[in-house]
Amino acid sequence: MKDLLRLKTSLNEEIEKILNDQVKVEAHSSAIYLAMSSWCDDQGFDFSAGYFAKQAEEERGHMLKLFNYINDRGGKAISPEIINVPNDFESFRSVFETALEQEMHVTAQFNNIAEKCFKVKDFVTFQFIQWFLAEQIEEEYVARRILEMFDVIGEEGTGRWEIDKHIPKVTYNAE
Amino acid sequence: MLCGFASLEEVFRTEFGAVLQCSNKNCYWLEFAGDCTPFKVTDFLHLRRKIEEINLSELLFDPSPRADFTIIMPFRSQRCFVLSVSDVLNLKELMQGAKFMMELPGIIKDCLKAAPTSPLIIG
Ligand SMILES: [Fe+2]
Ligand SMILES: [Fe+2]
Repeated sequence: MKDLLRLKTSLNEEIEKILNDQVKVEAHSSAIYLAMSSWCDDQGFDFSAGYFAKQAEEERGHMLKLFNYINDRGGKAISPEIINVPNDFESFRSVFETALEQEMHVTAQFNNIAEKCFKVKDFVTFQFIQWFLAEQIEEEYVARRILEMFDVIGEEGTGRWEIDKHIPKVTYNAE
Repeated sequence: MLCGFASLEEVFRTEFGAVLQCSNKNCYWLEFAGDCTPFKVTDFLHLRRKIEEINLSELLFDPSPRADFTIIMPFRSQRCFVLSVSDVLNLKELMQGAKFMMELPGIIKDCLKAAPTSPLIIG
C-alpha cells in the first residue's frame, strides 16, 4: 500500500507536536519581553525598555524560524494562542530575574526536544535545533550578567539609573 | 473526490467502521455510521486529532445535556459528525488502529533500511 503519510510529511507526529509547542513558548517569550519593555518604559528605565523590545523582536524571530521549519518539512505550523502575560512586576530587579527564569525554561524545552529527536531518530530536526541550543548559551549568559550588576553596582542612590545605562553594553563573546 | 471502489484499500476496520485509502487520489475515506466520507491526508489527520482530543471522562461526568453529544464539523467536508459517547468511543478506537496501520509501512521501511547487513531471518 502506498505510504500516503510519508508522502505528505517528513515529520513524525510527536516531533511536529513538540515543535508546535515550542512555537508557542517562543511567542510567549516575545509577549513577556514586550510587557517588560513597557513596564521599564513606564518606570523610566529607557535603556532596559529598548533592550526588552529588542528581545521581544528576537523571540518572534525564533518563533518564525520554528514555524517555517515545521511547514517546510510537510507539517502544519500552528499560530499560537498566547495567554498569561504578566504586565506588572514587583521591582526593576525582579524583571530581570523573571527574564532569566524564562530563558532557563526555554533551554529546558530545547533539551527535551533534543531528547525526543534522539528517541525517534530524527537527526534532521536535531541538527535544526542546534542553532537554538547555542543561542540559549548567550541568552542565559546575558540575563545572568545583568542580574550580577544589581549586586556589583548596587541599587541605592543612582544605582538603578547606572544599571539601566549599562544594560545595552552587556554582550556575549564566545571566544 | 470520487474514487472507484476498486481503488480503495482497507487501512483498518472495526465492528463500527473503517478507514480506507485511495492511492490514486491520495486520500483517506472514513466509513462510519452508515456513511463513507473522503478526506485529504491533512484533513484526515486533523480530524483524527480532533477525535483524540475529545475528553471522554469529561463527557461522562458532565451532567448537562450538552455533554450527551459531541459535534464535529470538519472543514472542506460535507459531513457533520454528531457523536454520542459510545460513538466517540468507537471512533477513537477506529482512529487509533488506523493511526498505527498508517505509520506501520514507514516504520518497517526504516527498520529494513537501518539494518542492510542483517537480513530478516524468519523461522
Ligand atoms: Fe528564543
Ligand atoms: Fe530567548
